[in-house]
Amino acid sequence: MERTEIAVIGGGPAGLSAAVAAASLGAQVIVIDDGARPGGQLIKQTHRFFGARSHYSGTRGIDIAPLLVQQAQAGGVKIWSNATVIGLYEANLLGIWQGETFHELQAGCVIVATGAAENMLSFPGNDLPGVYGAGAVQTLMNVHGVRPGRRVLMVGAGNIGVIVSYQLLQAGVEVAAIVEALPYVGGYQVHAAKVQRAGVPILLRHTVVEALGDEEVTGAVIAQLDDAWCVVDGTQRTLEVDTICLAVGLTPLSELLWQAGCQMRYVPALGGHVAVHDERMETTLPGVYVAGDASGIEEASTAMLEGRLAGLAAAMRLHGETAEGLRRLRETQEELAAFRGGPYGAKVREGKEELGLSRQCALFPASAMPLEARAGTTLEAALASITPERLARGPVAVIECLERIPCNPCVEACRQGAITMPGGINELPQLDVERCTGCGVCIHQCPGLAIFVVDATYAPGEALVSLPYEFLPRPQQGDTVVALDRQGGKIGPARVVRVRQTPQMDRTAVVTLAVPVEWAMLVRGLEHSRC
Amino acid sequence: MRIKEHPILTFPPGHKVTFTCDGREVEGYEGEPIAAALHAAGIKVLRRSTRHNRPRGFFCANGKCASCLMVVDGVPNVMTCVTPLRAGMVVETQRGKGVVRHGTD
Repeated sequence: MERTEIAVIGGGPAGLSAAVAAASLGAQVIVIDDGARPGGQLIKQTHRFFGARSHYSGTRGIDIAPLLVQQAQAGGVKIWSNATVIGLYEANLLGIWQGETFHELQAGCVIVATGAAENMLSFPGNDLPGVYGAGAVQTLMNVHGVRPGRRVLMVGAGNIGVIVSYQLLQAGVEVAAIVEALPYVGGYQVHAAKVQRAGVPILLRHTVVEALGDEEVTGAVIAQLDDAWCVVDGTQRTLEVDTICLAVGLTPLSELLWQAGCQMRYVPALGGHVAVHDERMETTLPGVYVAGDASGIEEASTAMLEGRLAGLAAAMRLHGETAEGLRRLRETQEELAAFRGGPYGAKVREGKEELGLSRQCALFPASAMPLEARAGTTLEAALASITPERLARGPVAVIECLERIPCNPCVEACRQGAITMPGGINELPQLDVERCTGCGVCIHQCPGLAIFVVDATYAPGEALVSLPYEFLPRPQQGDTVVALDRQGGKIGPARVVRVRQTPQMDRTAVVTLAVPVEWAMLVRGLEHSRC
Repeated sequence: MRIKEHPILTFPPGHKVTFTCDGREVEGYEGEPIAAALHAAGIKVLRRSTRHNRPRGFFCANGKCASCLMVVDGVPNVMTCVTPLRAGMVVETQRGKGVVRHGTD
């Protein structure tokens, strides 16, 4: 039998952060991960993260994983890969299969950071090859470099649905449509805008009713839903697709917590059954902690914060509380509260309150915003400060970030101090158009790719529109491309006058198009044929 | 179905190996999941369901759901979405629950 002070089950964002935090307080830690390489879902997340700098904002998930692994290893953390925990027994004894080897590991504390599993959706043909989970599609194309198909129907317009749709486009796969049963897009508006201006329609109040095909998917029947969630007869239509990608939510992977005997509660807002836990992420079993999606479906940024909480708390449980440890614990709780303080955090706040957390700590500030407040502004209101007079004075940034999402890299990017967010990271960015010089450094630093620079003074009758671009092939200076509007509609030809891409821009190019001046506030994308 | 160029990712060149699927010779990269190699070769049907003989492919690609079970080198119920490919593997579509061959140890 082997021994460790802390065993962390799962090497994703929560587990690795827990290990790093616990090791920083001097604890001996082993991470047990069932993947071939650690990082969990981070290793396929090609998009830039939101949040603040301390949450790795602006960094792509694929680049966060090696950073966390490096920090863990520097702290002496051992990572067991290809290892599956099959039982969590009395007094924190773990049974682990690693290849053909069975380990018994005796731990002082256990942190369960097992993540989540993808939900299925019931419809005829849902068992056909070609119906895949969105996570599976991400793994296949972003980890193994294999396209899932040629043409995809995405089911679900939550963040995973819109993000994976964008990644499919980047991999050269056509996305026929995104169907969403809700009457609104559940994901961030900025993520949805990226796929919309690439021409992917998001059909609200629509769902998939059947997958067609005998041996594999050859098509999908979609239909409109009424307010009672019933299919509106006569609205069925067939899309020719070879892949149906399901992004219809996640369920916490809580088997080990059940088996260990933690008190479990069914909390719909957290995605299913979760272990009751306190503000230090400790379950009802002393010394057993939970973090990340296993404690309630949320996202990687908060998973890292929860992991840090669990790691600090577990280390202090074994080594005694220290002023330093308590200070970092409190700071992390405050960061978590700030992250969840916006409208997008409402669901998780409600779920965690159901677990009794609100009574125990100040995780939920009174200023926290309800979900209804998610639409912070309209496009028209956001663009109101971009007046004809301002445009006549020279280039200016156009920030099309319309929702209160936890994200602030634009504020840090601006060298003029022209972008501010007075109320914290869940506020809308405020642009001081008088300070803004239109320099464009914010364009590639916005994780939502929602900032553009317009210069209406370029030439008589001609304006420049600079936009972020993350597809191949890259347009070249002098090319003529098709200018697209916010919905992917073709406006007309545009001349590429500049393409900026430096290593600091981290694979986001900024393409500057010359267009007729009256298109300046319309052009937000481009189509570049491969010929 | 292989991605040759990608705006964000680079895929290091793999070591090409051959294996067989139901007797047919297939190429893949050593170490990638068997299911990924099959998918890249256009093979999506990995097994037949127990009761209704329905075709099954992978679903989670993460070793969680058991949709991708195949017979690999005579061993049934191998999760091909997480099992690394090796040269010369004999991979077969699994029918039903599979048969464990005794006396091979």
